[in-house]
Amino acid sequence: MSDILVMRDLVGGYGDANVLQGVSMTAAKAEIVVIVGPNGAGKSTAMKAIFGLLKVRGGSITVDGTDITGWEPNRIVEAGVCYVPQVSNVFREMTVHENLEMGAFLRSGDLSAAYDRVYTLFPDLKERRKALAGNLSGGQRQMVAMGRALMLEPKLLLLDEPTAGLSPRYMEQIFQICRDVRDTGVTIVLVEQHAKQALAFADRGYVLASGANRHEGTGADLLADRDVADMFLGG
Amino acid sequence: MGALEIINFYLVPGIVIGSIYALGAVGITLVFAILRYAHLAHGDLATLGAFLALGAVTLGGVSPYVALPVAMVLTAAAAVMIDKAFYAYLRERPKIVTVMASLGVALMVRAVVQVVWGVDSETYTRGIVRPDVWFGIRIRDRELITILAMIGLVLALHVFLQQSKWGKAMRAMSDNPDLALLSGVDNKKVVMLTWIIVGGLCAAAGVFLGLNYELKAMMGWTMLLPMFAAAILGGVGRVEGAVLGGLIVGIAEEMSTLFLPTEYKAATAFAILLLMLLVRPTGLLKGKVL
Repeated sequence: MSDILVMRDLVGGYGDANVLQGVSMTAAKAEIVVIVGPNGAGKSTAMKAIFGLLKVRGGSITVDGTDITGWEPNRIVEAGVCYVPQVSNVFREMTVHENLEMGAFLRSGDLSAAYDRVYTLFPDLKERRKALAGNLSGGQRQMVAMGRALMLEPKLLLLDEPTAGLSPRYMEQIFQICRDVRDTGVTIVLVEQHAKQALAFADRGYVLASGANRHEGTGADLLADRDVADMFLGG
Repeated sequence: MGALEIINFYLVPGIVIGSIYALGAVGITLVFAILRYAHLAHGDLATLGAFLALGAVTLGGVSPYVALPVAMVLTAAAAVMIDKAFYAYLRERPKIVTVMASLGVALMVRAVVQVVWGVDSETYTRGIVRPDVWFGIRIRDRELITILAMIGLVLALHVFLQQSKWGKAMRAMSDNPDLALLSGVDNKKVVMLTWIIVGGLCAAAGVFLGLNYELKAMMGWTMLLPMFAAAILGGVGRVEGAVLGGLIVGIAEEMSTLFLPTEYKAATAFAILLLMLLVRPTGLLKGKVL
């Protein structure tokens, strides 16, 4: 299996402090990898590091064989990585369709295939394509955010807590969409608070603690691990 | 006093000056939305535009309407250069620094106008123009053209913002700058485009002010407060709100002379601004809260 994402011994953080003290992970093509861990473990920070949003002081990140360590976010986008932030991840005063258009800002030529693909994944959005994104429910906004990111047809999709604040029904729906997206050949790395549900649905998982790797394995193995359970799954 | 007199002596002049405020307020609201600071050189940029048009009228012997697009292009170029020379260096600093810098730019631009064209009042054309009468409503050609030009320019801007790729990029930058950058929008291009549009609109406001009244070095500066009042009244970041705000401020100023001495006209804009900030800080159409 070829690895789309390879992160090796990453050290870095915001300002002078190093939140990440040596994090390593890989993600294969068409694989869903979930990062879980207690609050302050550096989950979101690890994801932002991939996207070039913080200072990396050590280690390396390669995407599909290209070393992108220290690149600017806009070049990382061009390298085929899209990032969906946890909050304010849509253009609230633009329509759903315009949000998708902004996602494809760097692309030119005929985009109808890309729109079709996104609207097939998210039939709800097709119905509401002329609605302002700010007027949608939390779950639908998350779909717009993911749809916007998918417009560039990325190799690697980074999702920061896509189910935060959503009802269990929407959480299931978002997970199902992640599987559908994976089945089109996209690698997904996501950070999750809902550790149990996320480990149950992901292909593989990483448990971070204090900015370093603690456990890794398939979702089922991690769920069965007593240490992982004691740490934060609540027994 | 009859209805016709109120229309002829208060409403029509109010709509005309309101249209001029609207042109300025749209620019102010765009700078607020995309660059996120109050641009105090806005009025003096309008003065510059008015005098550049005067230059085209006196040197080229053309009518002010032909001089208008020339002045718009030149003022847009001036705005882009001012941004590159002054504001670009301050972009990462707290916004209040740029606000103060724009006050300095205002004084510099006005000084340039005074050095080149002097401090006396000027006009584009000499002589008195008699108004046409339509069903008892008296309106001059230049007044009608001011209103129509404002509507035309704002409509063109609206179509640009709604339909074109870079217009959408401007709206995206105003809506969620971080996400716009994540989507690959080039911030520098958006900033330049904003100044081109803002400079052009400033020049239009200045030229129409000069056409309906007279050209003075202080003309733009005195218009600054009503333009800001209009932008905030309409809702910061709302182009259609700025037009509405401009018309309301203009009409309110003229109507106020029915009850108050004319010297208090300028206080009307102040009163509207204060009242709006107290009662509804988001403006009439829901805008950003500053």
